Amino acid sequence: MSTKERNLWIAGGILILLYCLFPIAWIVSLSFKAPADIANGSFLPTTFSGVNYETILTGSASGLFLPALRNSFGICLIATAISCLLSMFAAYAIARLDFPGKKLVLSTALAVAIFPVISIVTPLFNVWRQIGLYDTWPGLIIPYLSLTLPISIWTMSAFFREIPWEMEQAAQVDGATTWQAFRKVIVPLAAPGVFTTAIIAFFIAWNDFVYGISLTSTGASRPVPAALGLFSGASQFEDPTGAIAAAAVIVTVPVVVLVLLFQRRIVAGLTNGAVKG
Amino acid sequence: MSTTTLPPTEKTQPVSAPKGGISDRSRAERKLGWLLAGPAFLVMLAVTAYPILQAVYDSLFSYRLTDPANRSFNGLTNYWVILTDQLWWTAIGVTLLITVITVAVELVLGFALALVMSKALSSIRPVVRAAILIPYAVITVVSAFAWQFAFDINTGFVNSWFAWLPGISPTTDWFGDFGTSLLVICLAEIWKTTPFISLLLLAGLAQVPEVLQEAAKVDGASWWQRMWKVTIPNMKAAIMVALLFRTLDAFRVFDSIFVMTGGANNTESVSFLAYRQTIARLEIGLGSAVSVLLFLAVVLIAALFIKGFKVDLAGTRGDS
Amino acid sequence: MLDVHIGGDGGGRAGRPGSPHRRRWRRAVGGAASALVLSSGLVGCGGGDGGVPTLTWYINPDSGGQAEIASRCTEEAGGRYVIETAQLPRESSQQREQLIRRLAANDSSIDIISLDPPYIPEFAQAGFLADVPDEVEQRVTEDVVQSAIEGSTWDDELVAIPFWANTQLLWYRKSVAEQAGLDMTQPVTWEQLVQAAQQTGTTLGAQGIRAEALTVWVNALIESAGGSIIEEATEDPADTQLGLDSEPARQAAEVIELVADSGVTGPAFSTAGEDANVVQFEGEGAGFMVNWPFVWGRALSAVEAGTMDQSVPDDYGWAVYPRVVEDQPSAPPYGGINLGVGAFSLHPDFAFEATECITTTENQAYYMTTNGNPASDTAVYDDPEVLEVFPMAPVIRDSLELAASRPQTAYYSEVSGSIQRTYHPPSSVTPGVTGPEAAELIKAVLSGEQLL
Repeated sequence: MSTKERNLWIAGGILILLYCLFPIAWIVSLSFKAPADIANGSFLPTTFSGVNYETILTGSASGLFLPALRNSFGICLIATAISCLLSMFAAYAIARLDFPGKKLVLSTALAVAIFPVISIVTPLFNVWRQIGLYDTWPGLIIPYLSLTLPISIWTMSAFFREIPWEMEQAAQVDGATTWQAFRKVIVPLAAPGVFTTAIIAFFIAWNDFVYGISLTSTGASRPVPAALGLFSGASQFEDPTGAIAAAAVIVTVPVVVLVLLFQRRIVAGLTNGAVKG
Repeated sequence: MSTTTLPPTEKTQPVSAPKGGISDRSRAERKLGWLLAGPAFLVMLAVTAYPILQAVYDSLFSYRLTDPANRSFNGLTNYWVILTDQLWWTAIGVTLLITVITVAVELVLGFALALVMSKALSSIRPVVRAAILIPYAVITVVSAFAWQFAFDINTGFVNSWFAWLPGISPTTDWFGDFGTSLLVICLAEIWKTTPFISLLLLAGLAQVPEVLQEAAKVDGASWWQRMWKVTIPNMKAAIMVALLFRTLDAFRVFDSIFVMTGGANNTESVSFLAYRQTIARLEIGLGSAVSVLLFLAVVLIAALFIKGFKVDLAGTRGDS
Repeated sequence: MLDVHIGGDGGGRAGRPGSPHRRRWRRAVGGAASALVLSSGLVGCGGGDGGVPTLTWYINPDSGGQAEIASRCTEEAGGRYVIETAQLPRESSQQREQLIRRLAANDSSIDIISLDPPYIPEFAQAGFLADVPDEVEQRVTEDVVQSAIEGSTWDDELVAIPFWANTQLLWYRKSVAEQAGLDMTQPVTWEQLVQAAQQTGTTLGAQGIRAEALTVWVNALIESAGGSIIEEATEDPADTQLGLDSEPARQAAEVIELVADSGVTGPAFSTAGEDANVVQFEGEGAGFMVNWPFVWGRALSAVEAGTMDQSVPDDYGWAVYPRVVEDQPSAPPYGGINLGVGAFSLHPDFAFEATECITTTENQAYYMTTNGNPASDTAVYDDPEVLEVFPMAPVIRDSLELAASRPQTAYYSEVSGSIQRTYHPPSSVTPGVTGPEAAELIKAVLSGEQLL
C-alpha cells in the first residue's frame, strides 16, 4: 500500500469518526448549556453549566426521570434475560439437533423481526387494560420479547453452529462425566455467544419507544425514551431542551460503555446472525 | 456481464444421525428439538400472532374507548374509510419516500464505510469499529432529539455554521415545510442506521475471496472493474439481506417523526397514523384497521423482496 | 413507634407522637420525593391497609406549587387523609391520553385530576368524573371568574372545581409602542399591531405551531369576531353545528392571513409555540406578542439569575388581547386547570374536601405568586402581595372576565386536531376557504368517515 493510499484510508477513518461522534458531541455540549445559553446559536456552551443535570437528577424533572431510568434498566434486563434463556434452548436445538420444525422456527423469528410494532400496540393496549397488565413491568417485558427474541435466536444459532460440539464427546472419551464435559468444554465455548446476544438484545430493548409511550402512563413502568418527550420547562409553556439533552446523555452512557468494552463481540454478533450461516 | 463467484462455503453440519437411520433416535431427537425450541416459538407467536388476530377482529367494529357502550359491528367500513382517505395515501407516500431515500443513501454510504473499515490499518480499526457502533447503539429518540435541536432555529447551530451556503440563513426554518422537515428526518435516520448496514456489508466484503481479486488484478482490471465484476457480485447475498432488513425497518419509521415534527407539514408516516387513531383519538376500531393494513404492507414488501429479488434468507444463512 | 418520630423529625414535620401511620411522615419528604415513592409502587392502593387513606392527585407539570399545596392540605386534613401527587406529561393532549387510558380501565387510584378545561366535557361525558355535591358546588363557585366556571361546566352542570385560570395578554415593548405612536391605554386591533411592527421593524409573536396553541389562537380570533367554532353541540357528534363557515370565521382567517403574510412574525412562524415566542420577545427587535403570563415570571427569574438585564422587563407592557373587529371587545384565550375527582376514586368525599382546600383563596394566591399561574378566585386579585409580584394582575382579571373557552364538546380532541390540520401552516390560511374546509373535516371525522 503506498503512503498516499494509506493516508487516504486514514483520512477516511477520521471522517467516519467525525460522522459517528459528532451528533453525540453535540448533545453532550447542549446538555451543559444553561437555560439562557440554549439559544446561543453556537455548538459549544458559553460557560459550562451543570444545571440541566441537577434538574433531572435532583430537581423538578427527577420525579419523571429517575423512576424511568430504573424502569428502563429493570425491564430491559429482565426482557433480555428471558429472551436469552429461551433462545439458548432454541438455538441449541437448531444448531445441534435434526428436527423438522427447524426452518419453521427460524422463519417465524424472521417474520416477527420484520413485524410492524405499531400493529400490535393497538390490540395489546386494549387487552392489557382488560387484564390489568397496562402500565406494569410485565406489560412491557412481554411485548419486548417480540423485539429481542427473534434476533437472539438468529444470533445465538449462528454462534452455536460454530461450536465444535465433537469436543464434548472427546472429553467424555477422556473420562469426563457428561456434566463435566458440558461445564468444562461447552459452557466456555458457548458463553461468548450468549453474552454477545444478550448485549444486542439489550440494545434493542433499550431503544424501544412505541411500546413505552403506548403501554404505560405513570412512573410505575414508563421507560426513559418515553419519559424524554414528557419533560417540561420551568413552566409548562417553556421548552425543556436542556433537561432532554442531559437525560439523553445519561441514557447514552450505558450503551457507549457496552460498545467500548465489547465492540469486537458486538460486531461479530451482528454480522454472524445476519450474513454468515 | 460476466460475473465471478465461488460456490457457497460449506456449512457446519449438525451432529445428528444420518437420514433414514434408526427411527427411535431420530424420533427422540425430534421430540427434544421441539421441547427446546418450543417455548421460544410459542412466545413469539403469543406476542405477535395473537395481537394481530385481535387487531383483525377489532378492526371490524366501530369502537371508541371512551364510549364502549356504543361499540358496534360495522364490517369492512373502517377499511373503506381508510382506503378512500387522502391522508392514508399521503402517509403511504411519505413512508415510501423516506424508505427509498434512506435505504438508497445508506446502501451507498454504508458500502463506503465498509470499504474504509476493511482497508483501515489494524492500528485504527478498533477505534473506527467502536465509533461506528455508537450510532447503532444510541436510542433512536435520542438521535432524533440531537438532530432536531441541531437544526432548530432557536437551539441549533446549523443555521449559523452553514449560513455561507446558498439557501441557508440564520433564519432558515428547517421544520417549517415538508421538504426540509423530511430532509432532517432522513438525515437522522441515515445517521442512526448506516452503521448497521455497513457492518453487514463489511461481513459480506470479508467473504469475497481474495484469490478472485488477485486474479482480476493480474488480468489488468481497474479498481472500478474489480468492484463491479468481482466484489459486488460476490456479496450480493449480504447486500440483499441488508436491503431487505433496512427497507422493512425504514417502512416502520415512527420515533424520529414523533419527536421532530409530530406529523406537521404532512410528514406523517403510516405508523404515526396508526398511533394517532388508536392512542390519540382512542378509536380502537379504526386504529386496528390501520394497523392491519400496515402489517399487510410490510408482508407485501417482504414478499416482493423474497420473490422478486430472489432473496433466499434461509439459504443465505445456510439452513436450506 | 420510634421510627415514626425519627421520620417526622427528619422530614422537618412533627408527626403526631405515637401515630401508627407510617405514611404520614413519608409525606413530609416533599413533593418530588412523594412522586417518586408513589411511582415506585410502594404506595399502591389508596389506603387499603386500614391506615390513613391516600389520595392521589395527578398534576400537570409546574414549578412545584401543586406539590406544596398537596402537603399543606395534607396538614390541614389533620391525619384523616394524605395527598400524594403524580406528575402528568407536559402537553395537555398527552395528559388527556394518559388519564383516559387509565380511567377507561376504571382505575381507582385516580382521586384528584388537574384537568385542562377543553378536555373536561369528554371526561364528564364518558363518566370519568364523580358528581360534584351541591353544597360543594355552591362554595367553589363563589367569587370565581366567569370563564373558569364555564370551563368547569358540561351539560349545564358543574363537573369540576375551578382552580386556576389562565388567559393570554398582549405583551408589548413600551419603547416600540411609543415609537409607533400606539396608545396602549386604548384597545388595539391586530391590524394596528401588524402596522406598528412593520413600521418599527419589530416582531409580532403568535403561536403558529401545529399544536394545541394554534387552536387556542384560531378560537380566540373567531370568538373575538363574535363567532364560535361550535355553535351548538348535539347528542350525536355528527350533527354538531359548526360556526366555521360564518362571517366571524372569515374575519378570523383574514387576521391569520394578515399576520402570517406580514413579514413581522419573525422566522419559523409555522413552528413557533409559546416558548419560541417568548425567546423572541426577550431578544433584539421584539415588538409585540400574545402569550400567557408565565412570560413575566420567566423574565423575573432571568433577571435574578443574571442572564437578563433589568431594563428588559422594565420595557415590558401588557394589555388586554388585541381585537379582531375595531368596535367589539376581544375574547382572549382561556386556559388553566380545573380539578376533577375520579369517578372510581375510593374516597370521593375526602377528594372533594381536598379540592376545596386546594382552591382556597390563600392557596391560589400562593400558587399565583410562586408559580405564576393566575387564580380563578377574584379575591386573589386584591391581595397586595399578588399585586406586588404581578403588577398586571388587574389586566389578567379583566381579561379573564372577557375570556372565551375553546369549543365545549366531548370530541374536543378531534375538533382541535382538525383545526390544527387545516389551519396549519398559518400562511396557507385563506379567508372563506379554510374555515369551511375545517368544518368539512370535523364533520367527516366526527361521523367516522375520515382519518385524522
